[in-house]
Amino acid sequence: MAEYHLTAPLTDSDVEQLNIGDIVYITGEVFTCRSRLQKYIFDEKHTLPFSTEKRNILIHNGPIVIKEDGKWRLVSFMPTSSIRFEKWGAQSVEDWGLKMIVGKTTMGEKTARMMKEKKCVHVSPRSVSPNLWVDSIEVQDVHLFDELGSIEAAWFFKVRDLGPFVVDIDTKGRNLFDRMDEKIARNKAKALQELGIDPDFQFTKLY
Amino acid sequence: MIKTEVYEQVLFETVKRGATELSADVQEAFEAAILRESNPDAKNGLIATLKSMKMSAQRENPLCVDTGWPIFYFKVGNQCQLEGGFVELENAARRAVAKATKMGYLRATMKHPLTGFDPGNNIGMNIPDFTYKFVDGDAIEISYAAKGGGSECFGGTRHRIVAFADGIQGIEKFVIDSFTASARAGAVCPPSVLGIGIGGTANVAANLAKEAACLRTVGSRHPDPMFTKIEEDLYKALNSLGFGILGAGGDTSVLGVNVEYAYTHIAGIAVATSTNCMVARRASSRIDGDSRVTVMKSPMWFGDR
Repeated sequence: MAEYHLTAPLTDSDVEQLNIGDIVYITGEVFTCRSRLQKYIFDEKHTLPFSTEKRNILIHNGPIVIKEDGKWRLVSFMPTSSIRFEKWGAQSVEDWGLKMIVGKTTMGEKTARMMKEKKCVHVSPRSVSPNLWVDSIEVQDVHLFDELGSIEAAWFFKVRDLGPFVVDIDTKGRNLFDRMDEKIARNKAKALQELGIDPDFQFTKLY
Repeated sequence: MIKTEVYEQVLFETVKRGATELSADVQEAFEAAILRESNPDAKNGLIATLKSMKMSAQRENPLCVDTGWPIFYFKVGNQCQLEGGFVELENAARRAVAKATKMGYLRATMKHPLTGFDPGNNIGMNIPDFTYKFVDGDAIEISYAAKGGGSECFGGTRHRIVAFADGIQGIEKFVIDSFTASARAGAVCPPSVLGIGIGGTANVAANLAKEAACLRTVGSRHPDPMFTKIEEDLYKALNSLGFGILGAGGDTSVLGVNVEYAYTHIAGIAVATSTNCMVARRASSRIDGDSRVTVMKSPMWFGDR
């Protein structure tokens, strides 16, 4: 497993070199979103009020940001689960030209296919460590704050060597967690056996 | 008579502590997990998480950005006298949550379920949630639990009626199946504190599971050997699955497995699970009848565990 320190905006070749299981750190300008923003744009047909051309890393996140002396201060930050945004994942990758999505968990098959086609990766955290991250994040700006509220707004962050994140979907269409599933299925069969549960056990159907 | 200003301040301090300080038992479980972890990435993840948690206590900021559903548990002495009574206790709890949100200890996470309306203070219909238990004495013990969205939304909380024909095998199979599905890709933020409720109606089992996940001291054991065995067997089995921190591989998938039970109907056994995330946020305080306030290390919701 290799370790990469990448700078945004990312290029196709930046992300094509990444394989599932690699560790990445990111530097540069990124933006955040949660489901309310994607619903607002893709379902309610509003126009995204900014360009993602030079800001092609999306972090699924609802940060805690407070205003102090007229300036934004990031109190807490932790990537949130991407899988719940699967409905809009492929369209986000395509329409916004994303090269990397940062989020907990992973994306589904439809988004992974689009990521392979458009050269984009998904990376996820390996810790819950907001305090190790907030010091490397500068709040630059916010969009759709009035429309969507503080948590669901699109925050513009400038990040400095933010990570580590593990690549869980690469541009070859592979998913780290699919590999994990195979390993866990084997471990599970063994665990059930050790608990004395018959491999052919079927629940008595009550409903 | 315990004055409103006394319990309101205790409520606020308890919410703040629950949001910003890792419980001692959870910290011990983390330290043990770090020592036994053989996967270097998982070990680094556990170390980074524990480091950040310790910084939260110093910086007085939330342990995790998702500050969860605000849930209160009150263990009330039969002779406990509160100024304004229990209606005022609940009002004071709402004020404490709103204040903690305004001060940035809690994120404004609670929304209207249909419109998505955000009141901005985590207060709304049936939220915060209140649960009571009555005991002898004149004290009130206040526990605050912050139940995270990840641990609650991705299948970590579910139930099934198991036939008596399937017995313990059925119960354990259901738990292993549920946990395996919900911990995929780290969805429920493992390593989890897993609560299991056995028996009662489905909602009784679900409440027991939630209380076992959120309130039981991590590392405690059910005193009945039949249930101790289920806890220990499942702890070993779940940790052999290999999820590790956030599901990307490692030796610790659960920090604890806590089982509580109720008698059930001859027709079937309700079994419910509730996973709490690795941060397992909670805090407890006690106010005696003479208004003496004590910070409790653990909720002790189920007697000595």
